[in-house]
Amino acid sequence: MRRNFSAVVLSLLLVLLQTTIVNVLTLGYAVPDLLILWIVVLAIRRGQVVATLYGFGIGVFLDLISGSDGMLGLSALSKSLAGFVAGYFYHENRIELTLSSVRLVVVVGSAALLHNAVYFLIFLRGSDVIWWRAVSEHGVPSTLYTTVLSVIPMAISRRKYQ
Amino acid sequence: MLNILSVFKEYVVLALCIVGSLGLMSMKDTRQMREIRSAAVVVMGSVQDAVGVVPNVFTLQREVRVLRERNVTLANEVNLLREAKLENIRLRRLLGLRDKAAFSFVAANVVGKNQQPMRTTITLDVGDRDGVKPSMAVVTDEGLVGKVVATARGYAVAQILFHKDVRVSAQIERERVDGIVYWDGDERVLRMKNVPRSANIKIGDVVVTSPYSSIFPSGIRIGVVSNVIIEQGALFHSIEVTPSADMTRLEEVFVITHVPDSSRIVLEQRVK
Repeated sequence: MRRNFSAVVLSLLLVLLQTTIVNVLTLGYAVPDLLILWIVVLAIRRGQVVATLYGFGIGVFLDLISGSDGMLGLSALSKSLAGFVAGYFYHENRIELTLSSVRLVVVVGSAALLHNAVYFLIFLRGSDVIWWRAVSEHGVPSTLYTTVLSVIPMAISRRKYQ
Repeated sequence: MLNILSVFKEYVVLALCIVGSLGLMSMKDTRQMREIRSAAVVVMGSVQDAVGVVPNVFTLQREVRVLRERNVTLANEVNLLREAKLENIRLRRLLGLRDKAAFSFVAANVVGKNQQPMRTTITLDVGDRDGVKPSMAVVTDEGLVGKVVATARGYAVAQILFHKDVRVSAQIERERVDGIVYWDGDERVLRMKNVPRSANIKIGDVVVTSPYSSIFPSGIRIGVVSNVIIEQGALFHSIEVTPSADMTRLEEVFVITHVPDSSRIVLEQRVK
């Protein structure tokens, strides 16, 4: 109960950071996604079910504060899928090892790329914008930025566990 | 049954989340949904408002310098415009033209920027209580920024021009030809379509909102033509427009409290 309460509070705090401080860190199209990073950490620490549910909840909240653009549920879908895929890297006895190794960076990169690919696939339906172009120009830079940022939790975990 | 569910619980949860997401996507914008969204915007807006001072610290110094420079330029322009205004009044009287409707503005601070890919929205610290309503135009002193899409009591969410769903009926000021300004994902550049090849468009031409727009008041500066691409055999110009307002540094904006004439919209929809 207490664990979930802390995770919900941290999720809300990260949504707040994502919509305020992260704007200062934006480089061109590349916007780091702290929430994907958090969902992956949850997936590695607590497994697929928790990560999928948190991905869904965080996504719904993000969609709600984005205004009415007919896309309520889009972030929920892409983030819950990212959480589900990241959950495949959950092993009860290897949590510390995964969090403190390059594996974390790989999982974050894969989850972020999947998230952006699904996101654009649905978001751009019926529009003039070409999917692969949107993914390469917007999705890939953001994925790389988020992946690079995952080195921070990896370094913290390495220091903590080794 | 329960045993099977517990074995495949990951897939069951994923399936529920997917169904839930698709259900949300297919939902219409009902009153209940607007209320829930409104509550989320209020909660987030209040918190963003409270921490909004943090990004300002980084930009304050730069902003002061820019404002000082602009102040000098504007002071000079005011003198010139005063003369032009008097001349304009005289000429309008002579021509018997009807004065354009004067719009009132509501000043707002940008308290949050939700940068989802190709779907950037900004949260403003004005809302229903200030007379702000969905579809109202958001501008800076430089030009058009976007439009309000959702409002709560003290907050509003606006889509900026760099948003896939924003379309603006626009006009090349010099040539008086109309087209549609939209964003196709290119960095810092908008596109204008439906401008016939016969129009003589030049780089540097000013693009403003068109009188045909049922959302935006006419004459608001959108940007300047930065490139005109001529494609073989095409009937229309492919025009790149650099927006006048800097979307990366939005801190203070104005909402034009102009509500489109509903009778006009109803009439236009009826004859479609």
